[in-house]
Amino acid sequence: MRWLPTGALLRVLAPALVGAAFGAALQATEPGARLYTTASPGLVAAIAGVLATCVAALVTLARRRGDAATAAATEAGARQAAEEATRDRLRFFMRLDHELKNPLTAMRVGLANVEEAGVIAVATAGTASALASVSVQADRITRLVSDLRKLADLETREIESAPVDLTSLLDEVAEALGEIPAARERIVQVTVPRAPWPLPLIEGDRDLLFIAVQNLVANAIKFSAAGDTVEVRASEDGDAVLIVVADTGFGIPEDEIGQVWQELARGRAARSLPGTGIGLALVRVIATRHRGEVAIRSREGEGTMVSIRLPVPDRAGTASTVADLRHNRHTPGKAAV
Amino acid sequence: MGGPDARPVVVLADDDEAITSNLAPFLDRAGFTVHVAADGEAALELVERLDPDGCVLDVLMPKTDGREVLRRLRRGGRWLPVVLLTQVGESAERAIALDEGADDYLNKPFDPYELLARLRAVLRRARPGRRPLSASPTLRAGDLRVDRISRRAWLRDTELVLTPKAMLLLDYLLTHPDELMTRDRLLEVLWGFEFPVGTRAVDNRIAELRRALGDDPARPEWIATVPGQGYRFVARVDDLR
Repeated sequence: MRWLPTGALLRVLAPALVGAAFGAALQATEPGARLYTTASPGLVAAIAGVLATCVAALVTLARRRGDAATAAATEAGARQAAEEATRDRLRFFMRLDHELKNPLTAMRVGLANVEEAGVIAVATAGTASALASVSVQADRITRLVSDLRKLADLETREIESAPVDLTSLLDEVAEALGEIPAARERIVQVTVPRAPWPLPLIEGDRDLLFIAVQNLVANAIKFSAAGDTVEVRASEDGDAVLIVVADTGFGIPEDEIGQVWQELARGRAARSLPGTGIGLALVRVIATRHRGEVAIRSREGEGTMVSIRLPVPDRAGTASTVADLRHNRHTPGKAAV
Repeated sequence: MGGPDARPVVVLADDDEAITSNLAPFLDRAGFTVHVAADGEAALELVERLDPDGCVLDVLMPKTDGREVLRRLRRGGRWLPVVLLTQVGESAERAIALDEGADDYLNKPFDPYELLARLRAVLRRARPGRRPLSASPTLRAGDLRVDRISRRAWLRDTELVLTPKAMLLLDYLLTHPDELMTRDRLLEVLWGFEFPVGTRAVDNRIAELRRALGDDPARPEWIATVPGQGYRFVARVDDLR
């Protein structure tokens, strides 16, 4: 709650502050650059809108984090606080998307207008590159906001529930490795059991599960170097299927491991690499939507292992005895991962 | 409406002035005569008065929103092409709901050149005075017949067994014949947004459709692959009354 007064104040003042700052910055620029205002006043207004919303959003987000931490301090209320925080977060992402989509659209159209009306406005040296830079940044904000919105959407939308053959799915993941150029410089192994029986079918949305595993593999390749090993292993584990993606890559520092599942989490190692930091959050959401769990272990400098545990649908009914026997026989011989 | 050489007249409806003040000159430069409406009622009034060639409608507007405008246009027998500006997360299923009958849709924030491409495509496809494919309950392409309301499809007399996503894709392809569909766009149709690594999901559904239709990718009767780009529905599509 300690964030509230400052937050509320800032939210009220943010648009005005940003507008003023933007105006001042424009006045301070070279006369050539000032042509933007004559070329497209709408564009300037849109940029100010985006900036204002971003400031307000960051303040709100910071306040929510503060609230969540305070609520979670009492153990009894922790679960309730977590659920409330999730709902809050979803509402927040949707609102952020909602507030930003118009200014961002206006910005992109405005930029296209300036580029096309072009000759006069971009004749001055430097303005063309400034324009290109604004355009790239607008695309970047667009991607970031839409990634957050996708996450929120996936947490709530109805997902397909059909039998999924993980064996063929993992075969496809192996096939898709060809589309990641850096994969050729890693030693990649995909191990899927065929004996004594193949993986059981699970229930869910095949497209989403593919995206989850594919994301983990892409991450393993991204955060490792040429010559490193990446292993994808699947196994039956009691009433679930366990999919593990392990690598001998850079690993994650101990102080960062707690945050990896959060949206926009980007470790120090990732700063120089492209991406919005949405990947693992997406994997978590997809696993959760399939009543599954995710886990991560990592040692800096040695590598990382991420696992997804997906429950096999109810085996009760006529096949239950057989299934139980199968489990019991299978469990002792299985290596714990 | 003018002759073939005249500039197409388009009504642009959005309550946000930041959008219309940028988009109107953009479309104007691209060769359209643009009339701006700041809300749904104004849009209906403009369409009534101008009988435009096409319409771009934001879904979120005060009082009468874009969907309601579209419903009222269609109910009134106005079949002009309409592109809806929607929110991220809306799949084609929702955006082009049959009872509304939008010709296409685009998530905000969009690439203005993409809007231009879609707008030109729907205008090209338009059949003046006739109901657009997207507002027709039953469509036929060769031996394929699709009941869009019950979401069922038949090849000659045999009903096809399709997953809901494959059916959604088939519906979109049928209502946008002869248009190049990139994988990213079809992915957006399925999910309401683009996934960074998911275009394979599109290929899988296309393969499912081809299997069901018995369509040979080498000599396609319905769905052709456009190498390196995407797919195109190549059969002629008619609506059945």
